[in-house]
Amino acid sequence: MRQTSALTFAAHVLFAAAFFGLWELASRGGLLDPTFFARPSGIVSYLWKGFITDGKLWLELAYTLFGAAVSFVAGSISAVALGLLFMVLPRLHHAAEPYLTLLNAMPRIALAPLFLLWFGLGVGSKIAVGFSLTFFIVLSATVAGIRGVNCDYLVLSKALGATQQQVFFKVTLPSAVPVVFSGLRLGLIFALLGVVGAELIAAEHGLGQTLAYLQSTFSMDGVMGLLFLLAFLGLGVTTLMNRLERSLLDWQ
Amino acid sequence: MPTTNEVAAIEVCNLTVRFGAGAGSVLAIEDVSFSLRAGEFASLIGPSGCGKTTILNLLTGLISEQPQDGVRVLGKTPRAGNPDIAYMLARDSLLPWRTALGNAAYGMEIRGMPKDEREQRAVALLKRVGLGEFVDAYPKALSHGMRQRCALARTFALQSPVFLMDEPFGALDAQTKLQLEDVLMDLWSTYQRTVVFVTHDLAEAVALSDRVIVMSARPGRVIADVPIELPRPRHVRELQKDAKFHELYALLWRLLEQGMDT
Repeated sequence: MRQTSALTFAAHVLFAAAFFGLWELASRGGLLDPTFFARPSGIVSYLWKGFITDGKLWLELAYTLFGAAVSFVAGSISAVALGLLFMVLPRLHHAAEPYLTLLNAMPRIALAPLFLLWFGLGVGSKIAVGFSLTFFIVLSATVAGIRGVNCDYLVLSKALGATQQQVFFKVTLPSAVPVVFSGLRLGLIFALLGVVGAELIAAEHGLGQTLAYLQSTFSMDGVMGLLFLLAFLGLGVTTLMNRLERSLLDWQ
Repeated sequence: MPTTNEVAAIEVCNLTVRFGAGAGSVLAIEDVSFSLRAGEFASLIGPSGCGKTTILNLLTGLISEQPQDGVRVLGKTPRAGNPDIAYMLARDSLLPWRTALGNAAYGMEIRGMPKDEREQRAVALLKRVGLGEFVDAYPKALSHGMRQRCALARTFALQSPVFLMDEPFGALDAQTKLQLEDVLMDLWSTYQRTVVFVTHDLAEAVALSDRVIVMSARPGRVIADVPIELPRPRHVRELQKDAKFHELYALLWRLLEQGMDT
């Protein structure tokens, strides 16, 4: 087991070394134009400068992470709350459903200019975009989770004489948690996505804003560097959520 | 002769059930009557759709829109959540987020038994059904047979005098089924509950019951009420070799076939 995972790791390292090595060689040999495709050594030196030498990227990273965290927390709390309210008031759910579907169908990134107008250039408009993405994802997961309760559990509990409260806390809620959790995992990624997307359009700070600036000045090393950074950020967030899920829901 | 003030554990008297109304209505059960003494084990057999499960659901009070006159559990009209009744389904319905212990204690928890007491009872029963080493295991780690053992522990942990069991072993393979039937006999002989046991399996009905009530195809009527005079305690696996067991089995088959033809 250990040996195979060590082997897998070695294979990954080998692959990455070959990939970046070839890329570097190709751009040095003139096969790939670094103006369009950047160059691994340039990417490393950009990130090194940004995080170590002058440390300017930390501030941008902090803006983006702050925006994503606020959108995620606010979006998921209000979505779970509304999902639970829908369970208690099915009529409200029925009435609200078409409007929610309509809102959810709107391309959120296209709304970003509107949000910029309403909430300004700062982090507020970024949070609005992130929130609007996270909210609907977590809401539909919550509704699906509550609906998906195994009927046998309900029959058994009813036959035992469970009160509505007991059914909710002992059956509905724990059975919905895994579905809600997968919604949260997706919601977190989309919060990040929404914030970076809105920053790309117009912002004063943030990784998305930096990315847009670098793009307009043809600094491909920086663009590629930030893309890798964002990818690893997403990966890190997902890994964190998976770990959390495994330790919280070990019965699955 | 029963004394006049003795209340039957279960009383079903001239029960007729019709689903729906008007031309499209279906007569599910027609004029069914039977009663069970306290501590009696009776099986209900009959073709699919003859209303066996409907009778159980009426007794639990899970079907409340149907008239329940003539149906009495310990002299009372059925209602959902009646603490006199423990209900067991074909599927184990173990809650996957609870350990075997948490599941075995679930019924008692719903009915408000204090934590220490219910956990003590649950552990004792899990040991009794052979799950002593799996107290902290989640259902995903248990086999089908073990899960149904856990459901048995959950049912017997309740202090309800009346058990209603709807094909509790219907989803198990033949070998596991025999084992579980023995576990059930062991528990039943200790705890002395009144049991109505719905099953499709004639061998199971004969092996477990004091009486087998045979119902006809829809509309369900009682066509025979056969006493099973096999000595107790019974060992289900031993019974498979018993001549009297096979005689009763053959008798029930004939009755059941008559019920399907009419």
